[in-house]
Amino acid sequence: MVALTGTTERPVIRTRVRGRVRPWLTAYALLLPSALFLFGFTYWPVVQVIRCSLTVRGFRGAAHWGLQNYARLFNDRHFATAVVNNLIYAAGTIIPSLVLALLFAVALKETTRLTSVLRTLVALPMLIPLVAAASLFAFIFLPNAGLLDHYLAKIGIAETNWLGDPSLALGSIIAITVWKNCGYYMLFFLAGLAGIPQDLLDAAKIDGAGPVQRFFRITLPLLGPTLAFVLVIATLNALTQVDHIIVLTQGGPSDATAMILFYIYQQAHQNFDVGMASAATVVSVGFLFALSIVSLRSLERGIHYET
Amino acid sequence: MRFQLALAACLLTGAAHAATDIDLFFPVSVQGKLANEMARLVEVFNKDHPDIHVTPVYSGSYDDTNLKTHAAIQAGKPPAVVIMSANFVREYVISDEIVQLDPLIEKDGMTEAAFMDQFWPALRLNATEDGHAYGVPFHNSTPLLYYSVDAFKDAGLDPDHAPVTWQEWIDAATKLTKHEGSTTTRWGLMMPGTYDYCGWITSGLAMSNGGEFYNTGYGGEVYYTQPSTIGAVRFLDNMVHKAKAMPEGVTDTNAVTTAFFQGRAGMMILSTGSLSFVRDNMKTPYRTAFLPRSLVNAAPIGGASLILPKGNSPERQAAAWVLIKWLTSPEIAGGWSRFTGYFAPRIAAYDLPEMKTFITAHPDAKVALDQLVYARGWFSTYNVVGVRKALEDGVQAVLSGRATPEAAMAKAQQEADALMRPYVEQTALKVPE
Repeated sequence: MVALTGTTERPVIRTRVRGRVRPWLTAYALLLPSALFLFGFTYWPVVQVIRCSLTVRGFRGAAHWGLQNYARLFNDRHFATAVVNNLIYAAGTIIPSLVLALLFAVALKETTRLTSVLRTLVALPMLIPLVAAASLFAFIFLPNAGLLDHYLAKIGIAETNWLGDPSLALGSIIAITVWKNCGYYMLFFLAGLAGIPQDLLDAAKIDGAGPVQRFFRITLPLLGPTLAFVLVIATLNALTQVDHIIVLTQGGPSDATAMILFYIYQQAHQNFDVGMASAATVVSVGFLFALSIVSLRSLERGIHYET
Repeated sequence: MRFQLALAACLLTGAAHAATDIDLFFPVSVQGKLANEMARLVEVFNKDHPDIHVTPVYSGSYDDTNLKTHAAIQAGKPPAVVIMSANFVREYVISDEIVQLDPLIEKDGMTEAAFMDQFWPALRLNATEDGHAYGVPFHNSTPLLYYSVDAFKDAGLDPDHAPVTWQEWIDAATKLTKHEGSTTTRWGLMMPGTYDYCGWITSGLAMSNGGEFYNTGYGGEVYYTQPSTIGAVRFLDNMVHKAKAMPEGVTDTNAVTTAFFQGRAGMMILSTGSLSFVRDNMKTPYRTAFLPRSLVNAAPIGGASLILPKGNSPERQAAAWVLIKWLTSPEIAGGWSRFTGYFAPRIAAYDLPEMKTFITAHPDAKVALDQLVYARGWFSTYNVVGVRKALEDGVQAVLSGRATPEAAMAKAQQEADALMRPYVEQTALKVPE
């Protein structure tokens, strides 16, 4: 500061030069702390993961560079199963929870005493941590003694092994996820709906548009940005939520509920195969990154942003 | 005044810090209030040993404890003592991350053999490697058959005669199974089919069927496609799909115990480590019996050993050794056994009067002890979790009616071999040219 006050009497040109340099420095100085954290905790680990995925390490052998980790990964039947399961899981959770969330949002759009209570009820699962929700569902899904089988028995449906039958386990996991996420997505849609001008809807009404027409011609197109955002969030969730699998099935029975993230965990911590785990991370994150860009781009093209 | 007190307190604790600080990683895997009891034990130890200060660190399940120990070793801050699942010890020896105990034992004026002779013979296999001690058995278990007296009477079976052979077992299970319309109101037999338990029980059945199941002397071989293993898996398949006395698919431990407590399962296979849990929660009379036999009586051991990870200072290591000897002394081992249901690995524990009273009062615990004569090692290999999972995926597919025992085991063997391949190539297959 002392240096700065001392410069006031100097020629104009020099001040201008300094004037150009100083904001540049200040800006970077201000960005430096965040940049350090960003590099230390985001970019550096990314580099490390890529490096690990390219390091081939045998038992007691010397490590060397190569693509063998990727080759092993693509030949691994468990990885293929995890990818297929994850795709089913993604489709099975994203579509129903988005449709349900949108239905709830439209139905509970008006604020009355009843709808506020109902909104809270729908959004409630969002407040429960996934681990706790999974522990609750462990009891709900208990064959015969659980809540679900107890009531199903009253309508004559026999004991079902919800989590222990390979053909049902993934469906049960999907059901929990839809229950858990739907209310969360509803909140986004409610916010989106609040942003749609009422006069547009009124004008359409006067012109004789029915509720269905109004929904598909006005509400849905104007919800485009919200939809795009929620879709990306839901896609990320489908790949990054793993708590309920760890609590309920450990990927079983017979790999029926193994997902990519759980596969990475198994490779890294059960088989101590860091190379495979890193390769799987690189592949899945790369895929997700590409998917996000493509989906955001293509969705944005068809979206009406208000100006 | 308050400041002075605080200062005095600081000085006092400062003085106490001349003691060696060590940490103990301990898992709690079976149901019960074990964590509190462990904290209490450590407090007693700290009071009795002013020159050592132990901090107990609860480290999750056996698998979590393994993971955290590996992570801590790699980060250069190994815990001083770990209560490690007994079948993971071999992997630590293979990766050279564990302290060999022979020098510590010899410093106490004992030989390795004399030291290990203090423990039940079945436990020595998982605590030693190539004639050297690496673990000290802390609490151990075997699978046990639990059965409900009321269910036996209801099915016209004699509760004084538990099934002894596989034939009697499947007959009893069939008789115990009760249907009401399309629902089964009582299953003859239930067992946990989830990861870890599934492999443990299957290995027990294979051993009872005359098999070895794994190479006890070398961590690179398992015998999934041998007749003894195929037969064991086929027996489980028959229990589910022919006798229809066990539910299809995979049942987790919670579902098994809940069904047993509610009278919806006549028999269950569960660890002896759950004895106290069952005793506290079962409202109607129940009894325990040996795991029924096919050709021979056999049951694998489970449970955990105390180990010393490499990389600690000599002072910490010495303090850790004192803690290990204290925890496995007959008095402490006996008390822990009575509290948990695990049997005490130390033979001398059973000579104590309080232990004798306990065994007479609890015949269910006596069965567990008697079965020890037939106990075998717990299967341990290189990459043991993955190798185990390969088998379990196969057994689960059979239990779900999705694969034949032969096909499932062929696939399991192939996967297990692939997982052990890096080790095998550097050991058994690395021969002079």
